[in-house]
Amino acid sequence: MNKRLLGVIDATTVHEDLHELSIHRSVAAIPFGGRYRLIDFILSNMVNSGIESVAIFPKFQYRSLMDHLGSGRNWDLNRKRDGLFFFPAPNLDKHYTGIGTLDHFADNIDFFERSTQEYALIANSYTVFNMDFQPLLDWHLKSGCDITEVQKAGKSLGIYLVKKTLLKDLIMTRNETGYSNMRDVVTDLDSQFHLCYYNFEGYASMVDTIEKYFKTSMDLMKPEVWKELFPKERPILTKVKDEPPTRYDVDASVRNSMVANGGMIEGTVENSIIARGVKIGKGTVIRNCIIMQKTQIKENCLLDSVIVDKDARIEAGTVITAPTDAPAVIRKGSVQGVGSKS
Amino acid sequence: MLLAGGKGSRLHSLTKNLAKPAVPFGGKYRIIDFPLSNCTNSGIHTVGVLTQYQPLLLNSYIGIGSAWDLDRKDGGVTVLPPYAETSEVKWYSGTASAIFQNLNYLYQYDPEYVLILSGDHIYKMNYELMLEYHIEKGADVTISVIQVPWEETNRFGIMNTDDSLRITEFEEKPAEAKNNLASMGIYIFKWSVLREYLIRDDQNPDSSHDFGKDIIPLLIKENMKLYAYPFKGYWKDVGTVQSLWEANMDLLDRDCELNLFDQSWRIYSVNPNQPPQYICPEGNVSESLVNEGCKIEGDVSKTVVFQGVTVKKGAVVKETVIMPDAVIGHNCVIEKAIVSPGVYVPDGTIIRPDQGSNEITLISEETIGALQSN
Repeated sequence: MNKRLLGVIDATTVHEDLHELSIHRSVAAIPFGGRYRLIDFILSNMVNSGIESVAIFPKFQYRSLMDHLGSGRNWDLNRKRDGLFFFPAPNLDKHYTGIGTLDHFADNIDFFERSTQEYALIANSYTVFNMDFQPLLDWHLKSGCDITEVQKAGKSLGIYLVKKTLLKDLIMTRNETGYSNMRDVVTDLDSQFHLCYYNFEGYASMVDTIEKYFKTSMDLMKPEVWKELFPKERPILTKVKDEPPTRYDVDASVRNSMVANGGMIEGTVENSIIARGVKIGKGTVIRNCIIMQKTQIKENCLLDSVIVDKDARIEAGTVITAPTDAPAVIRKGSVQGVGSKS
Repeated sequence: MLLAGGKGSRLHSLTKNLAKPAVPFGGKYRIIDFPLSNCTNSGIHTVGVLTQYQPLLLNSYIGIGSAWDLDRKDGGVTVLPPYAETSEVKWYSGTASAIFQNLNYLYQYDPEYVLILSGDHIYKMNYELMLEYHIEKGADVTISVIQVPWEETNRFGIMNTDDSLRITEFEEKPAEAKNNLASMGIYIFKWSVLREYLIRDDQNPDSSHDFGKDIIPLLIKENMKLYAYPFKGYWKDVGTVQSLWEANMDLLDRDCELNLFDQSWRIYSVNPNQPPQYICPEGNVSESLVNEGCKIEGDVSKTVVFQGVTVKKGAVVKETVIMPDAVIGHNCVIEKAIVSPGVYVPDGTIIRPDQGSNEITLISEETIGALQSN
């Protein structure tokens, strides 16, 4: 298939505005859509476009990311030749900014030397979209560009296509040119390169704030967005968990929600995303919420516009509500009781 | 040694293109997931799966066994189909002949004990405990048994035992049973005993080469040490449309002994990796199990819904099993049925049992075709 394209995912990003969800994990590993992590979208897109070699460049807090990706088996990237590569930053003191940090690539230049692919696709790890990169490569080749940036309605999506030899030049000459990342390269007005912009028509959302996270999650409940993100022929793949189907009790009432496997639902759920293995007790009402993996919400609670991170426990009778445009966040593993402050 | 060649003819069109062990069960699984998960959870990492009838799907489903953590360098899962020898092609004519023809597979490992399983039952069992019992009793063969209701004893192979649970007599489907301990088709053999009796059985021209009919009675007759291992817990033969439906409905009971949510004894399967289920604003789900990739726009109650199913607006589905990728059209009414995988039930179809009847309808392409031509 696409032996010409190398996948490079920059997973170094830190978003201050996502702090509450990224204390224990990198932005790339933030749970999304009930069973995914943000990185699943770009990674699956690469695999579905026939890319057989993908390198991940993480920096901070990448334990959960490594655990999630494993050998790459769930993306069919556990290969003898090519497959999945992991290049954590060797030096945490070095300051990386922007997508596609050339310093970080320089630390792993061997990878770019050894891989046989002619072109490299450099992408961020936190965009929710479903895109086939084959037409992008065809377009790039036809228009004779040096570097193509993928955009949506005139705004950068933080995805760049470049010939690998040129990428290697950019890495080697970074001290002379002053370019520190791919964004610097494409935003240089005096650039000597032929820069092109490719417009992506479909749904795409860069998740960089809590509000954006919440809004993008709620977008999943729009049938047109769901259809675009999860077509059968280009599935978004993730780590599988061997959870049983979700059990709905006799008192369960679920409307306009996405529910992942392994859940036990006894209460009322509306306009919400319920992740794998979540328990929702009797008499509890969950509205406009995102409940992450293995969280337990006991009986007679009321939660409105709340993001509850993994493994949290909400004791019986707890009421937590927030305005829809500023959702509350309950941290991973925390316990919330009636008396505790939210 | 997992016998997975069963045809399951009483499951009708469900097993037309599919061996019985590959029949979908419980919203996510196939029947064979249960014995395979039991093996891996019991610490058995060398499993031979004997296939014969319609093996295509079963073979590709088992693959290299990674779903059950049985992709091993040493041992792991091996699919054992019938094969041709220099002189003739030998089909597996009975359960014993299937194992006999794979003696070479067993010689490779030269084990102390061999566990023989069938791929037709739904249950969770720790085979390690059964082996401990087998060793403790100093048995040649241990047969796992379960108490069945007295009125059903004529459907099972019944073991008559003495007080120490040593098996004294085996009766296949007796009209007047003396006991209600039914064989679960799970045997542990001393390898040396298994080998000897299989070789002798092969040379007996009058044998039907079946464990229940030939090997076990001969062992008892020759006064070998056979013990019954009493099993308590959920165990169900899902050989008919009715019993397959019942076993699925059992899962909806919160207190069901077969707990799929038990993290310490997980049932593994090939995960479909589909998006979460979407319950639409018009949809409603209660007392049901629903798997990934479903879209529920209708009203679903007391129903087991497999991955990739769509229930459209206005449809009402009750006490039904909807197998993978089936579509229930607008305003359908479906009650007490099993909807076969991938079937499209057209808008407005009404299928429910007649007043007072409890018969389960198997909805297949043919059922739909017949409805439309009427």
